[in-house]
Amino acid sequence: MADDVSRLSDELARDPASLTFVPLGEALRRRGQLDLALRVAVRGLERHPHLADGHDLLARIAADRGELQRAFDEWDMVLRLSAGHAGALRGMGFVCFQQGRLDEAERYLDAATAENPADEGIAQALVTVRAARHREAPAVQPPVAPDVRAIEPPTTDDAGWQDTLERVAPDEVASGHEPPSDPTHVHDARYLFTVVLEDGDQTALLLDRDGLVLGGAYFDHDGFDVAQEVGAELSGVTDAARRATRHLALGDWTSIVFETEVAVVAMAPSVDDGLLVLATSRATPLGLVRRLLDRCAQHAVRWLGERAA
Amino acid sequence: MSSAFTAMLDGLTRQRGVRAALVASEQDGIVVDSSLQIGQSGDRVAALAASLYRKARLSSQAAHLGAVSFMQLEAPQGRLCAVGAGSLVLIVVAQSAANIGLIRVEMLRAAADIPALAGGGFA
Repeated sequence: MADDVSRLSDELARDPASLTFVPLGEALRRRGQLDLALRVAVRGLERHPHLADGHDLLARIAADRGELQRAFDEWDMVLRLSAGHAGALRGMGFVCFQQGRLDEAERYLDAATAENPADEGIAQALVTVRAARHREAPAVQPPVAPDVRAIEPPTTDDAGWQDTLERVAPDEVASGHEPPSDPTHVHDARYLFTVVLEDGDQTALLLDRDGLVLGGAYFDHDGFDVAQEVGAELSGVTDAARRATRHLALGDWTSIVFETEVAVVAMAPSVDDGLLVLATSRATPLGLVRRLLDRCAQHAVRWLGERAA
Repeated sequence: MSSAFTAMLDGLTRQRGVRAALVASEQDGIVVDSSLQIGQSGDRVAALAASLYRKARLSSQAAHLGAVSFMQLEAPQGRLCAVGAGSLVLIVVAQSAANIGLIRVEMLRAAADIPALAGGGFA
């Protein structure tokens, strides 16, 4: 195990952009080094925000740390990225069970079973939940689970766990499970635009009128989130653009695009004098950049509307 | 009175749809030279455009994206374009129907000449 961690650490150091952070984080989690595992997972996700296995790792670490809601949110993200992900379904069932939400736990585990009928761990968990529900009937929702030890959180030690990491077709999601249909329902604001962006080399950020970050992230080429720094420098852009277009009688500004040595950055006005910022690689055609900017802008408006509601 | 930039700016304003071309200091937006086909204050246009360009450059620097080569602000009735050249910024105001691809190429070409035209005083 120690050799594994050492080998994987070396591998990740040689190629920080690789996906090695997933097995490394998992190895650390299994050794109980949860803080270190968490740092590895978060850093890896900064580079690969659309990687379902990365979010799955983060969810398992959060579950081990007792952060059930965060674990649930991360598994929810996994389902957005990889519909029908049995590991995520099982994990969400685990969290619901821990929280005494037995009906929901059963639905998630039903769906997980449909995705992976051979997984005995899931089947056993489902039996346990149903038994608990039977004991609780006709109570509506128990405040806490009757036996929280009955269902273990997902772990790679389980037989068939790796199989659950396989992507399955969206229409194979079992009827008992209904993944959130509204993609604007995002729990972690950093991942606000994950459902809109198409490639790992695209990143988007939503700023308020003062340049403070509302959502999204802005990753530099080293994988660091520099959203706050970028927001600070862009503070006042909306006002300057408005004054310029008003002075020149050009109408309300719709976008600002600038090209750099390695990227194309596009900006659009957002709600309440906010600013939407999208960065893509230079290889991205300008027409696609504009389309992505429009989609991000619409997504941001829906998200802000939901938060205001 | 003509300056070292006059011919370059006149060449840009001869492009179809270009309403104004200016060279200004990026730091404070003060106009160095201009060729205006509009009856508005070039000073204010230069100050606002230079401010926008500076913000773009600083945000690019914060994100480690390298130097900004071309910036354009788009609105229904026209565009404001800017290209940096050392401490100066070349600014063009164009109508929305103008050929922005051509203008971009001409601006990048003109900006490459600015250090020589400025004689090392600005660039």
